[in-house]
Amino acid sequence: MMTIPKSRRRSGILGVAAAVSIATLALTACGGPSTDTAGSAVEAGSGEGTIKVWAVDGQAAENDALKKIIANFESSQSKIKVDLKLFPSDQYTKAVNSAAPEDLPDVLDFDGPTLASFVYNGKMAPLKDSVSGETLANQTDSIKSQNTVDDAVYGVGMMNAGLALWGNKKLLDGAGVHYPTTPEEAWTAEEFTGVLDKLATVVPGGKPLDLSEQYGFAGEWGTCCSAGPVIWSGGGTMLKDNKAAGALDSDANVKSLTQFASWKKYTDPNADGLAFTSGRVALSWVGHWTYPTYKALGSDLVSIPLPNFGKGTKTASGTFAWGMGAKSKNGTAAGKFLDHLMSDESVRTYTDANGAPPATKTALAASALYGPGKQLQFLGDQLSKACGTEDRITESCVSVTRPVTAGYPVVTDQVGKAEAAIYAGKDAKEALSAAARAIDQNFADNDGYKK
Amino acid sequence: MTTQIQPIQRAPIAPRPRPRSKAGLSGHKYAGPLFASPALIGLAIFLVAPFVLAVVLSFYRVQLNSPRPARFIGFEQYTRLFTDPDLSAAFGHALLNNFTFAVIVVPVQTVLALGLAVLVNRKLRGMVIFRTFIFMPLVFPLALTAVIWRLIYSRGDEGLLNAILGFFSGGALSSQDWLGSPSTALGSIIVMSIWQSVSFQMIIVLAALQSVPTELYEAASLDRANKWQQFMNVTVPGIRNTLIFVALITTIFSFRLFDQVYLLSRSGSVDRGSTETVMTQIINTGFDNNNVGQAAAMTVIFMVIITVIAIIQRAAVRQRGGV
Repeated sequence: MMTIPKSRRRSGILGVAAAVSIATLALTACGGPSTDTAGSAVEAGSGEGTIKVWAVDGQAAENDALKKIIANFESSQSKIKVDLKLFPSDQYTKAVNSAAPEDLPDVLDFDGPTLASFVYNGKMAPLKDSVSGETLANQTDSIKSQNTVDDAVYGVGMMNAGLALWGNKKLLDGAGVHYPTTPEEAWTAEEFTGVLDKLATVVPGGKPLDLSEQYGFAGEWGTCCSAGPVIWSGGGTMLKDNKAAGALDSDANVKSLTQFASWKKYTDPNADGLAFTSGRVALSWVGHWTYPTYKALGSDLVSIPLPNFGKGTKTASGTFAWGMGAKSKNGTAAGKFLDHLMSDESVRTYTDANGAPPATKTALAASALYGPGKQLQFLGDQLSKACGTEDRITESCVSVTRPVTAGYPVVTDQVGKAEAAIYAGKDAKEALSAAARAIDQNFADNDGYKK
Repeated sequence: MTTQIQPIQRAPIAPRPRPRSKAGLSGHKYAGPLFASPALIGLAIFLVAPFVLAVVLSFYRVQLNSPRPARFIGFEQYTRLFTDPDLSAAFGHALLNNFTFAVIVVPVQTVLALGLAVLVNRKLRGMVIFRTFIFMPLVFPLALTAVIWRLIYSRGDEGLLNAILGFFSGGALSSQDWLGSPSTALGSIIVMSIWQSVSFQMIIVLAALQSVPTELYEAASLDRANKWQQFMNVTVPGIRNTLIFVALITTIFSFRLFDQVYLLSRSGSVDRGSTETVMTQIINTGFDNNNVGQAAAMTVIFMVIITVIAIIQRAAVRQRGGV
């Protein structure tokens, strides 16, 4: 019947498949070539010619601003041209991850928490020899902390990010609530519960708080911006000496997150994203990026520090910033471009376009939104009071950088998952211990993500 | 009954020898493999190779985006999956969710599809409009309808479902957190999933219904069979094979359940453990935690389980003379 015996044919297919899979395995294994001391391969180059730049395809206004900044750069001098390539935001990190260091551009955009992993994979170059001293000195402490891995600076940022409780003054006044305006006066968690009780009587649905549930806690929003500030403000950390056990599942974290979950009964799920602007809630726990929508409230819009769980109010900080590809052949020119990006004019153009707080000292001071006496001065102040990474938190500092480790994907997944479980009613100690065990197991499997 | 008829029909054909086919194969030695090769190559590249690769990867410690070379660790990923209290509990729970989903969805959705198909098979005026409406959920992308379902399931009286329940119960039932509460989360996803995909099964059943000869109904009514007797003795046997097929594909869909869970529970503040399915867990392990080796071990075990179920199901169906 059949010309080739069944068994032989099958073994042939299996043989081919095995060969293919082993080849693929070899590829996977060698995805990131083992590198010597990171980034030492940058060549200064001639300082002229064309430099390649990769960036995230952001909002239309951001892209236009970036193109305008590049046009200004090219017209201000004649030796360096810029070849800009934009990537869709959900594909960007994947693109950098899958590119070999040689294929990376001279200058690239990166999201804060991904930097450590890029450095670990030998994809980024330290900026010390390429970027001018003034540019580095002008970076605010909070963005500098995000962009520093193992004591070397790998990135410079034009913008930052911060969180606040946005308040509806009319509703707050209606309930007779006095609200704090500086980080030092932040409500304690207990006071905050009392405030919510009062506010519940004046809002239509009886749920005066929005915790941005629509973003989902089981993900980056949960870790950076929801569980993060709660944990840090309660005196806890996610990792301690590269271990989560004893840090993430500490009693302080159990207490803080349980307290946080107890506010669920005051919380509007905000499935439609309109809770604050439609006046359903009086307080909204969210980032600076909602300001363009929230400013519809006009003079009724106030910004309030997040609640203090014992060690002062804390906010997360950090966002996209700029660095250099590890194998750039034109370090000098790339450095000049980065210097131009960080100039006051460029930073102003960019942050005006997207409403983010500037990440350079001079631009922040001159900001029409975050500068002294301006409407969002409070968010600017928070970012000036930088703690650095979570192991350096003090009572008086406010903005904290997310853990700088190549194992961050595991940390953010597990912390977010644990927060969502606690918020859904699960025992906090149990959820945090499980998360800590999962993180530690993964770190152990990868030798602690140390070089 | 049908078995009695078949031998009589076949009788005149059976004794005829079939010399042509044999000559054809031996005359062109490579014709068989040649014609089969496009399909076989496709299967090898898209099914066999990934599976073999998954088996190979499951013996290694591989982290996505890591400069570290893959490390051979033997069966460690498997022993972890079965002995590590966290992992085995999570994996077991995900499997349980899949089984619960299948056990409820397969019968309910098949019966519902049959009911709807019988309903829209009637020759009433404007039936096309009804059919269109019933078929619509399948036409809209799930990512879109998930937004609406999140509003429906939203907790508090802001949620549409709660608002309706509250209206009819005089405010007594209005605060259920459908997706957030572990006891109702999976049920909510089941309801949404049935709503989304029942129309697909309905269309298949409808096609089968329309192929049942009308003479049979006429004969049945001459025998004074009432509507219910006609349905049980003419309709159901007439579309039996289609019903088996529908149940089979629904089972397969139930086990690869992913998008409904991903879209509904990742975007709300939902305890992921309560709705996790094996597919979402594999994606989470492999691409959020970047732990490819562990995810590969999960897929291998899942593949074995699915294979066993498929074999059992096929055997059961064959016994009763079906597809």
